[in-house]
Amino acid sequence: MTTEVKISLGILVAGTVGLAVYWFLPQHSASQPASSAKAVASEEIILPQYDPATYRNVPEVQAYLSDLKKSIAQGEGFLPLDGSELDAGGKKAQALLLKDAAFLKDTRSGDKQMHNDMMRIVPAPVASLDKAAQVICRSHPCYQAEKYNFVTNATTRAIVDTEAGKVLSVDYFPNAQPDISYRLKKVAEAIALNAPEVKEELGRLPSRKDITMANVRGSMKESPCENTAHLCVAPTFADHEKERALWAVIDLTQLRLAAAKWAGLGKTTTPACISERSLENRYIMEKYCQRDTILERDGWKIIYRLTASDGLEIRDVQFHDKPVLHSAKIVDWHVAYQQEGGGESLDTSTETYIEGRRVEYVRGEGGRYAFGYNDAMGCPMFSTSVVLAFNGPQVRPLHDGNGFMLTQDFRNPKWPMACNYRYENRFEFYHDGSFRVVGVNKGRGCGDNAIYRPVMRIDMAVDAHESFYAYDNGWKQWTQEGEEHVRGSEAKVKKKYPYKITAASDPKRGYYLEPNHGQFGDNSRGDNAHLFVTQFKENEGDRDMLTLGSCCRLDQDGPESYLNGESIRNGHPVLWYIPRIRNDAREGHEYCWADTRIGEDGNPIIKIWPCTVGPRFTPISSF
Amino acid sequence: MKRLWPIAVALAVVAGLASFVIIAKQGQSQASDVHAFNLGTFSPSRTCSRPPRFLRRMHIPQPVMIDLSQKHYTGVALRYGKNFTQVLHPKQWEQYAHFSTYALDTVGNLYLIPTPYISIHPSTFTLQKKLFRLDTTTGKIKIFMDFEDVNPRAQNPYGLNAIAYDCDDHTLWVAAIDESDYRHQRGVIYHIDPANKRIVQRVEGFDALTLRLIHTDRGKFLLAGSARDNGLYAFDITRGRGLASAPHKVLELPDPNAHIRKIHLSGRNQLELQTIPFSYSLVAQAAKEDRTHFSAKWSPEKQDWQVVKIPNNTTH
Repeated sequence: MTTEVKISLGILVAGTVGLAVYWFLPQHSASQPASSAKAVASEEIILPQYDPATYRNVPEVQAYLSDLKKSIAQGEGFLPLDGSELDAGGKKAQALLLKDAAFLKDTRSGDKQMHNDMMRIVPAPVASLDKAAQVICRSHPCYQAEKYNFVTNATTRAIVDTEAGKVLSVDYFPNAQPDISYRLKKVAEAIALNAPEVKEELGRLPSRKDITMANVRGSMKESPCENTAHLCVAPTFADHEKERALWAVIDLTQLRLAAAKWAGLGKTTTPACISERSLENRYIMEKYCQRDTILERDGWKIIYRLTASDGLEIRDVQFHDKPVLHSAKIVDWHVAYQQEGGGESLDTSTETYIEGRRVEYVRGEGGRYAFGYNDAMGCPMFSTSVVLAFNGPQVRPLHDGNGFMLTQDFRNPKWPMACNYRYENRFEFYHDGSFRVVGVNKGRGCGDNAIYRPVMRIDMAVDAHESFYAYDNGWKQWTQEGEEHVRGSEAKVKKKYPYKITAASDPKRGYYLEPNHGQFGDNSRGDNAHLFVTQFKENEGDRDMLTLGSCCRLDQDGPESYLNGESIRNGHPVLWYIPRIRNDAREGHEYCWADTRIGEDGNPIIKIWPCTVGPRFTPISSF
Repeated sequence: MKRLWPIAVALAVVAGLASFVIIAKQGQSQASDVHAFNLGTFSPSRTCSRPPRFLRRMHIPQPVMIDLSQKHYTGVALRYGKNFTQVLHPKQWEQYAHFSTYALDTVGNLYLIPTPYISIHPSTFTLQKKLFRLDTTTGKIKIFMDFEDVNPRAQNPYGLNAIAYDCDDHTLWVAAIDESDYRHQRGVIYHIDPANKRIVQRVEGFDALTLRLIHTDRGKFLLAGSARDNGLYAFDITRGRGLASAPHKVLELPDPNAHIRKIHLSGRNQLELQTIPFSYSLVAQAAKEDRTHFSAKWSPEKQDWQVVKIPNNTTH
């Protein structure tokens, strides 16, 4: 046997063995979930950027709202189906149902009409009939009608014997959504066609023929908008060449574009795979939780990110290239409810939960006690937060035109239901180099006796070595870590700025701290804050923190645990500023409160009475 | 030059074979994406699990319901009597906070999987890396095993999160998802021998929200509901070789936000799947109103699953 033949045989044997090994190796189907996660990452999500009021000018929406207003003015609030959507039997069935008390039972709430639409009236499918109705409907024409209540998110279904002129049954389905009417389908299409985001994404003015909708309506009824409480559909613009489609999720309760998504045309990206919340979550995770964003505007340079449990954090902030802040964030909201009596008989041997949260109890004197919990804010996925980021951070001009704000909305998914919360983290940046760290509470909480304490951590970057001063008949430097109740009106009168932080080498280079006494024009009732100054340590809040301290020990705010008498003279002081707010639910005096009401158009509206707190920092000498 | 012919022929044969094998395997892979994985036919079988022995000593009648709902009791509570209104809940059962799921063995030991608090407590991360056991004889809950490689943190507070008892070899299957993040699926399934507390096998790369063993006419499988998507997956279990490193995707639910949290064999070739929304945050929406149920029926004739949502008031 020649050497060449031996080599040939070797190649054949090695090749065959190699291929056999390859054949029997696993297919890596375990990567399916990972690859679907990868697919998620490659999907492009578009959140609404424009004012939803735009859609009120769309003719189909205008006509729809006009009919709704007329109906409410007539004391009905109920939009029947247009005759063109009905056959003769359907018209008879509708006429009967418009007088049927059982069918119309849930159209009012007190003296308010609630927005209801008749969605469809069709010959009754046998599967919808009970035994008695099946017997009747064998010889009589029967119709099935469905109406939807936009306020309660409920569907009412009736079976009507049109020959006998009788309503055979009325069933009520809470949290259920029917197929939509032809009119609403047209309204949804019109909103999609007029959505600026859709035009921008498609790169052209779309027309009605571009929309594939007919097969979408049924499957989209499973798609929840904002925690399933709104009726949503998804007109779709398919791009067959690129094998992708733009799904425009339309919220028919609020008559607006809720979100849009570019997705493949494959099996796993059917319309049922879209929900506004999951789209938002992916968008927020991709853009703001997984990476830092740089904002440059009006001389400011700001790096910001969403954290797992410390809300929106700004880092390495500069003004005209000079360092201002290492970091600022609100790490927690302590929520406590004060009770005047009953503490003696309080049984705390077993734990209590409100809306899934573990409740902490603290007994006081004279039977008083407080209970509550710590609310962390953060990313909507992979986090320890319970109050989650909605939309991404927004940059908006300040009302007085004197700067801009960077703001993030955090909500419990079920807000404004009782014991659910909504907070805004806001940073305001002014043209003169001032900035303000702002916490906004939008209720609603569990009751009218709440005390809210946002824990603000502010790490200034005036210089490598800094000094902190309080004003007390002259500037007095704090040489050690310390705390005090923020000076109130007496300091306001005597000194606008009761505190300052400066470069250790130059007391004229730094920032004054101006507490909020209600002087910032935002209807605030003041901060009533407690201030802590601690020496910087990385594990004392520079990284993401869990909760800090007790929700309900009102004599403690949390940062006490970091006070150990360390020197802060010419050091790296960190400020912990903790406002204390009492909510108010009295009519006409609401503060830190929210309520759901039925609006003039019969649809639900959420009324908010925010409370706004937080100090402003002003440069000692101008930049 | 003629001398090199045998080598050229051998290379050509291997290249030809390689192209055939690669195409055939890719075709097989694509086919598995399109068609449902054939788990085989199956029927519900009697469980080998037994109730804790201390119940008999305490004259507590069967049936007993294990309550981990966190609504009224920390830790575990056992409910019994008419309408399950009587409760056994010694203080010691609160020592290790809350549990999310359990498995019973053949002698009545109750293995418990922890769950993080919604308002986080400093100890919660430590508790998420431990497997607990309510001893069938003493009636005390103790730490059964500590998983040093499980490290929950602020970005993902979950550690151990699923368990199943294997009646064939009296072992435990336990899942953890602590290493996963938004981009990476790094969950681990552990096969544990409780007799010596040894980890027999460790399979990485899958985030299981629930585990369930099943015998079918095609073999034994570990079913797993995914924490990342709306799929049900199956790992082959081969005697002597243990769990396959890669699962098959069995089916996909019609709701993308539904993550399978419980798997129940409800009839011949039929599964009942309880789902919850899940996003690796503490807003684990596991309350009754957050749960959705699906029935999944395998048709051997069509070789496909029929998946339908079932109303909450008619579920198992």
